[in-house]
Amino acid sequence: MRIPPAILDLEITPEDGHRVRVWLPLFLMWPLGLSLVILALVFTILADVVLLLLGRRYHRYTLLLVRSLGALCDTRGMVIRVNDRKAAVNMTVQ
Amino acid sequence: MSEDRSRILNMLAEGKISAEEAERLLDALDARAGAPAPEAAPAGPAVKGDPSPLLEALPKFLYVKVIAANGDNVDVKIPIALVRSGLKLTSLIPSQAMDEINQSMSEHGMSFDFTNFKPEDIDELVAALREMEIKVDSSNGDTVRVYAA
Repeated sequence: MRIPPAILDLEITPEDGHRVRVWLPLFLMWPLGLSLVILALVFTILADVVLLLLGRRYHRYTLLLVRSLGALCDTRGMVIRVNDRKAAVNMTVQ
Repeated sequence: MSEDRSRILNMLAEGKISAEEAERLLDALDARAGAPAPEAAPAGPAVKGDPSPLLEALPKFLYVKVIAANGDNVDVKIPIALVRSGLKLTSLIPSQAMDEINQSMSEHGMSFDFTNFKPEDIDELVAALREMEIKVDSSNGDTVRVYAA
C-alpha cells in the first residue's frame, strides 16, 4: 500500500550560519488532502464519462489523477542536499 | 565466484549497500543455490524462501552526486519508484500537452519523444537502472556521479 509523505524536513543554513529548520508534519494535511482528492475524483469521473459519451479520444483524467497521487506517494524517501558557498539546503521527505 | 556474489561484493566495496545488506543478500543467494551458507548461523539464512524478489528489488534509490571543484556540492536521492511513476504518467498526458512538452524539450536540446513510451519500455528502463553507473570527471575538477543502489 502506498502511503503519502508524512513529514517534510527542510533545513536552510545561509552563509551567516543562522540556521533555519522547518519540520512540516504533512500527515496533518492528509484529511484535507483526502477530501480534495475525493472532490477532484468526482469531477474527473464526470469529465471522463462526458468525454467518452462525446466520443473524444482522450478520457483518462481519472487515471491521470490517480497516477499523479501515486507519484506523490512515491516521493517518500527523497533527499536533496545542496551545499553552496552561500548557503546549504537539506530537504528530506519521509 | 558467481556473478551475483561478485556483484554484491562490488556493491559493498563501493559503499552502495551496507555490510548487513550484503550479508542478507549472500545468504539469500546461498539459499537459492541450495548450498549451505559458509559458517551458517544456527538461526539459518536471514531470508527464507525464494530470494528472487529481494534480488530483483535491490536498488531502491537513484543517486545523483555532484562535487564541484570550488567546493559546492549537490546530493540528490530519488526513489526509483518515483522515476517509474513519473515515466508512467507520461503515457497519460493528453496529446496536445505532450506535443507542447516535446516541443519545449526539443527547443532546450533534448529531442526526446515521450509519446513513444510504452509501459514495457518503462519497466525495461527502470530495470536497466540497476546496472547503470555514470561517472563524469571534468577537466576543471568537477565530478558527477549517477547510480542506483
